[in-house]
This record gives sequence, structure tokens and C-alpha cells, in this order.
Amino acid sequence: MVRYLLLALNFVVVLLMAIAPWAVLKREFGGVGVLLTPFDLVNPQNLELPAVNTGWAAPFFWVWVLLVLVASAALFVPNARTRARLLYGVGAVGLLLFVAEAVVFYQSVNAVNGPALEAGTSPRRLPLRRFSLSLGAYLGVFFSLGMLILARLQLPGGKAFLVRYRGVVVPLVSLLLASFIGALVVGFIRPGLGAEGKVLPLLDAVATKLDLVTYTFQLLFSPIISLTGWFQSLLLATPLIFTGLAVAFGFRSGLFNIGAPGQLTLGAICAMVVGVYLSGPSWITLPLSIAAAAAGGALWGAIPGWLKARFGAHEVINTIMLNYVAASLFLFLIASNEYKFFGVTVHLPFKAEGFEARSNEVQESSRIPLMLDLLVRDGHISWAIPLALLLGLGVYYTQRRAQLGRRLLVSAAAVLVGYAVGGFLPGPAVELTSALTSSRFNGAFLLAVLALLFYNFYLFRTPGGYELRAVGLAPKAAEYGGVNLRSKIVLAMAISGALAGLAATHYVLGGGVDEYRLKQSLPTGVGFDGIAVALMGQNTPIGISLSALLFGVLLTGGLDLNQQLAISRELVTVLQALIVLFIAAGGFLPRYFIDPLQAAQVETEARAEQEALEKALVGRAG
Amino acid sequence: MRVESAILVALFFSTLRQTTPLLLTALGGMFSERSGVVNIALEGMILFGAAAAAISVERIEAPILASDPLARSAWIPWVGVLAGMLMGGLVATVYAIAVIRYRAEQIVTGTAINLLAAGAPPVLMQALYNTTTNSKEVENRLVNIPIAGESISPLVFLAFLLVPLCWWVMFKTPWGLRLRAVGEQPEAADTMGINVYRMRYTAVILSGLLAGLAGAYLSVGFLNQFVKNMSAGQGFIALAALIFGKWHPLGVLGATLLFGFFRALAIQLQGGEVMPSVVVEAIPYVLTILVLAGFIGRSRPPAAVGKPYEK
Repeated sequence: MVRYLLLALNFVVVLLMAIAPWAVLKREFGGVGVLLTPFDLVNPQNLELPAVNTGWAAPFFWVWVLLVLVASAALFVPNARTRARLLYGVGAVGLLLFVAEAVVFYQSVNAVNGPALEAGTSPRRLPLRRFSLSLGAYLGVFFSLGMLILARLQLPGGKAFLVRYRGVVVPLVSLLLASFIGALVVGFIRPGLGAEGKVLPLLDAVATKLDLVTYTFQLLFSPIISLTGWFQSLLLATPLIFTGLAVAFGFRSGLFNIGAPGQLTLGAICAMVVGVYLSGPSWITLPLSIAAAAAGGALWGAIPGWLKARFGAHEVINTIMLNYVAASLFLFLIASNEYKFFGVTVHLPFKAEGFEARSNEVQESSRIPLMLDLLVRDGHISWAIPLALLLGLGVYYTQRRAQLGRRLLVSAAAVLVGYAVGGFLPGPAVELTSALTSSRFNGAFLLAVLALLFYNFYLFRTPGGYELRAVGLAPKAAEYGGVNLRSKIVLAMAISGALAGLAATHYVLGGGVDEYRLKQSLPTGVGFDGIAVALMGQNTPIGISLSALLFGVLLTGGLDLNQQLAISRELVTVLQALIVLFIAAGGFLPRYFIDPLQAAQVETEARAEQEALEKALVGRAG
Repeated sequence: MRVESAILVALFFSTLRQTTPLLLTALGGMFSERSGVVNIALEGMILFGAAAAAISVERIEAPILASDPLARSAWIPWVGVLAGMLMGGLVATVYAIAVIRYRAEQIVTGTAINLLAAGAPPVLMQALYNTTTNSKEVENRLVNIPIAGESISPLVFLAFLLVPLCWWVMFKTPWGLRLRAVGEQPEAADTMGINVYRMRYTAVILSGLLAGLAGAYLSVGFLNQFVKNMSAGQGFIALAALIFGKWHPLGVLGATLLFGFFRALAIQLQGGEVMPSVVVEAIPYVLTILVLAGFIGRSRPPAAVGKPYEK
């Protein structure tokens, strides 16, 4: 049954390869381009095209057809080992084939662009611009990877192998499914690139649609190829790390903290109050402002925690309600300085002069410096912070066996050494583009890294964290084991709230949006995005940092999407929502991917199978 | 004196208008939660319903208005209302499949639907109207019924008429009894031959239909366009009203009237000297927290709420 399904899938792959664009030879702003399909050159807007090799796609296509045929035949080979070997072979050849395609394509482009460059054409005016490989070529990679996984599944313990890595499998499958639906949405709402108001032959129309979908995802992921893109992505990832950690901390303790938006708001208010009204040297006011943000969030998290511990009131409803109370409070403080209660006038100091609802600016001494200022000194890159981070993290992770206190001490020492040595190392000179200098990427990112370390350290390396996780996994057993459930619930919610509150440091103290103050446009919605980050990251520190980075990249790419294709950036929100939906539904995978008990069952079965196999082999040898 | 009574009348009608979406949504949520499924996605279903209603009315009337700019017809907005309900029902079906068939965590899934409702309408509106914030204003909105110098939407009447109907369905019909049984003791209900899954699907979809209706009320009854995030938390207030009203139609009516009154009051008090409207707006939320904590009468949810049922 599964075999025939895979056979059908192979057929679809070949069909798509035949009609999809394999490469875009050149593309104008707005997306219109010249598409190269195996048997055709689709040029809906009749762009001018220099003589370029377009004949390479068809031969490659026929090789792929051959390869897919081999894979299809391999499915029906009775011996599992031979089957696996064949599929491994197909996967490896496929990947090599893709590399070959890339080489041929870029060489053909260079053959045209090279002479033009030598003749002194500026890079912006080259005959071929914004060229790239496209869906047809990418399909080969996906197919090959799929074949490699399929090959592993044929061998004994294959199922158990997938189940063991379900923490990666479920998010990835969900991401793929969400991307697929996102692609359908994009294809549905917008005509193909270059096909607007034109009647194209069916195959060309399909090719332009497929190009639209591919280009959409290329744009979404485009930030990863430029330094500016990385800066912007990390900027947007910073608050997501905090809120993702906040939600994940709740999950680990068996609590659903949906109140990150409110906690962030309170954190912002407290950071603003301290940052604006406390004067003093920076080394006093900055830490205090950061601590205030954490304290504000902790307070707003502890309230629903206490209500749950004391009265058994469910934290979900309470945190939602507190989100709205926080929003009201926020508006109350910055919308006006004068309120009348039953005719009695109350005065507040917070709102800044002017019409707009915003607070006064945070004092210079309480501001978090921009990353650019930390990384670049006098036009040269300073290695101090990167080296400190690298050494510190490296030592922390390699000293796994050391005693905890020692491990921390050694790591701290490594950070200091890295900072000092890095400060003396000569860095290469960098030219700061205006895009880089205008980036608001700031030191709050370093705080986020610290928060990640705290999460990893506290939850997984301390008795307190152990107790919290025990409460999350089995509250009754934990209570029987001597854990005070009530105080743990309050504590967990307070820490979770503090983490969410720290996200405010990015906005208020780091000027993450554009100003160092509270504004009505404070994007509290990142509190909800934190749920997606936590789920996608499966509540692990590495997972959270990767998924926050992923969403940071997508959100940054979303801006390009808006400018070039007039597709709303909210597409990223749709993707996020679908990812959460699919992860919640276990990626629609079989139950043993979700239920830990059934997963353990699969492992046991695999081990039994393995043992039986070994016994049989020994028997045959004897 | 006359001025004050005029204000009171205005406040009364404003309360009715503000209560309507809350009441519709909360009544829908009642069916879902009584069947044992937490429906935190009501907020999203309202938004989807509102967007579907406004966009479908705009699409239908566009060719008619192109030939005759003054053409008004009574049926077009009702098609929009129907579209809103169907959209709400559709989204609820997706939610139901995820939480009932795939036993997804209900609150996480609900949050996903809400997130989807924040993202999907802007994407569609960008494609249709080249702006993400609001849809084109429609000419054919629901015609109000004039009463005592004011006028209110027919959906307001419908909402209040639904209260006794829901009460009757919930407490006087065999179906209602089965629904409550499924929410309290699904195992026992199953043993008695009640199809737990089917009851839950029906209840969740019903809640989506009503939330979609509330959305349609917002976009083509109360306003004449869809505005991004126009529900502004009303789905959550409805959820709170459900708790406040102890999952009972009459309680829900009282709670939504109270919350609707506060919303109306916040509007009336704008720029006044009695109390800042932001403070009044926060009162329902604080009240809900107090009720949940048991300071004002304890509220007990259906026993099986939030737990996926496995045969």
C-alpha cells in the first residue's frame, strides 16, 4: 500500500520536474523573470535575454527520470538490505546531480556576466541579474533527502530511528506541511509572475505560478545570505528568544503561560520607570533597569501563579485577562498625564510632551548599546565579544563532567580571557553600509543568550529545576516526593514572567523599534509568537534559539516579500500559525511519534527485532 | 434632566449593541465547552467570520454597484451573514478535527487558530484591496430596525432570542442531555451508546457558526467593513462571560450584559470627568479574575473539559 503511494509520489515528482522552472536566468524588480524549464524558455514579458546556455536542463531532466525509475523499481525489491542499498545509492547520486546542475548553471551565467564585468559594467547593470536555481532543481534535493531517509527506514530499527528523533521530525514535518499550505495560499491569491493580465499557454502559466511560489520562499529565506540580513534577523529573533523561553519554561513546569504579552508590557513599564527616572552611572542604572524589566514581568506572571496555587484558578484564562489589564494599564500611563476620577484630577508624570501617546526617553546611561558599536571599534571589527562568547560557551559545553560550580567558574574565566584576548587581536577593517548602521540590533541579544544559558542551567542542572520539571511531568508524584506544589507553581510562573519581561529590554532599553521609550506601537504580539517558538523548539534551549532565528529570518524576508511581490508580510504569521497547529496535531504522524509511552514501545520492539536478527545470524554461523 | 435621560437611553442601546457579539459568541462557546472542548479559538472564529462577511458582501455588490451606484438590496448583507457563519463553521471544523481526531492540545490549537486569524485576513486583503488594515467599505450593510428613536440591528434581536432557545435545547431536549453527559463523563456517555466524537464535532462546529455570526454582526451589522483585528479581544471576553455565567444560558446572558454594559460605559465616558475609559475597559477582565478565584461565587467547569477522549 505504502509502496504504491510512494510510486505515485515519484510520478508527481517527475511531472513537476518536467513543468517547473529549473532556473531563473534573470529577474527584474517585482519578480518578473525569464524561466528555464527542461523543454522551454518561458519569457512572459519578453525580457531581453543575452545568448546564454539553456540546453543543460533537458539532459539533466532525463537523468532524473532514470534515477526516479530506479528508485521506483527499488521499492519492489524483496530483500530489505538490497532495497536500502539501492535507495542510498539513488539519494547520493541525486545529491551529486544537484551539485553538478548548480555548477553548470553558474558557469553558464558567468560565461555571459564575466566578460561584461571585465568590460567595466557595474554589478547592478550586468546582463543577467538576480539569477538563481529554481524549483525543478530544488525538487531533486528534496527527493534525494527523502530517498536517504527512506533507505534508512528499510533497515532494521528504521522506525525506531525516526521515533528517537521525533523532537526534530515533528517540527520539521510541520514546517514542511505549513510551507506547502503557505505555497498553495500564495499560488491562490496572486497571478503567476509576469502573467498578470495575459493569456499564457497552460504550461507557461503553470511555470509562472510555480516560479511565484518558489520566489516567495526564496525571498523569505533571502536574509541568510547577507550580513545586513543576519543583523536584521537576529534583531527580530531577540525578543522571540525571550518570549519563547518564557512559554517553554511554563510548558516544562506543566503550565501554559499565554500571558507573555502582558508580562512584556509590565516589564516595559518598569524598565521605562527606572530607565527614565533613575540617574547615576551606567553600571548602576543599566543593570537596575534590566532587573526592573524582569521584576515587572515576574510580578505579572506570579499573580496568575498565585491564583492557581491558592484558589485553583486556571492560569490560561487568568493570563489572558491580565494581558488586557496590562494593555489598559499601559495606555493609562502613557496616553495622558491628567485623569479625572469623579471630578477629582489625578496627575501622572509619564507621558512625554506632544500629541502622540508615548513616554519620556530613557536616559543615556540606561540604554543598551547597539551591537554594531560593540562589534566594531574605529572601523575595525573587534573580536572581544565574539571570542568571549565562543570561548565561554565552548568551555561550558566541554566541561560537562566538571562539578557545577567549577564549570561555571571556568566558563566565566574563559569569557574574561576571550574578551581580553579578543580586544587585542587585530580585526579586519569593515566598511559600514548605511543598512548596517541603521540597524537597531542591540546588546539585548547578548542578554537573550544569557537567558538561554540560564534556562539550560536552571532547568537541567539544579535541584530546583529538577523539581520544576518533575511538577510538569507528574505533579502528584512530585508532591509525593516532597515538592511543595503551590510554591513551585508561583515560582515557575514568576520566572516565566521574568523571561517575558526581559523581552522589553530589547524594545525600551535597546531601542529595538526605533526609540528608547514606550510607544503605543510596542509589539506585544511577540508574546504569542513565543508559543510558536517554544513548540517549534520543543522546549529545548538549542531548539528555541534555532526556531527564534528561523522566525527572525522569515519576518525579515517578509519585508522583501511585501516590497517585491506585494504579498503581505503577514504570510509569516500564517506560516507560524500553521506550524503551531500542525505541531499540536503531532504533524499528523502516527501516534507513536507523540505519545512517549508508545515511542518507548517502538524502541523496545526494535531492540527485540535486532536481537532476534543477531541470534539468527549467530545460529547460521554456528 | 431630559439630557440625562437621553444619555441613559443611548447607554441602554449601546449596551445592547455591545452585548450582541459577546452573547452570540458566548452561547456558541457554551455548547463547545459543555461538550468537553475548550474553545479558546472563538476570537479567531469571530475574525474569520467578520472577514468572510465583509469580503463576500463587497464581492457580490461590486458588479451590481458598477452598473447602478445607488442599488441597495436587502438580501446581499444576509448572504454575507451566511458566509460569515459558514466561515466560522469551517474554521471550527478544522479546530475540531485537530483536537478531537488528532487529540491536539486544545489551548495550543486554539492559539494557533487565533494566530491564523491575525495573519490570514491581511494576506487576503492585501491581494484584494492592496491594504492589510481594512477591507473596502460596503454599501449594503444590514438594515437596522428603528426603535424608540434609536435603531438596532436585527441580529441583536436574534442574539437575545437565542438565549431561551439555547436554554431549551440544553436542558429540555435529549440532545442537550447527551451533550452535557459527554462533557461531564464521556466514558459513561459512550457506554450508554452516545457517539462522543459526533457530539463534540457538532458542538464545536455550532460554536464556530455562532462566533462567525458574531463576526458578521461586527463587520456588516455594526460597521460596514472588516478592520484588521476588529474583534479586539471580544472572543476572550465571551470566554470570560462563559465562566462568569457558569456555563448556563441565563448566566451567560447576565454576564455578557454586564460586560457589554461596561464596554458601552467606557464609550460613553470618553472625555468625561467620571472615570477614564481605559480604566472602565479593564473592569470586565478584573472581574473575571476575581470570579475565577472564587471571590464572587465559585464557577465550576464541566468535568471533562479540555481532555481529549480516547475510546
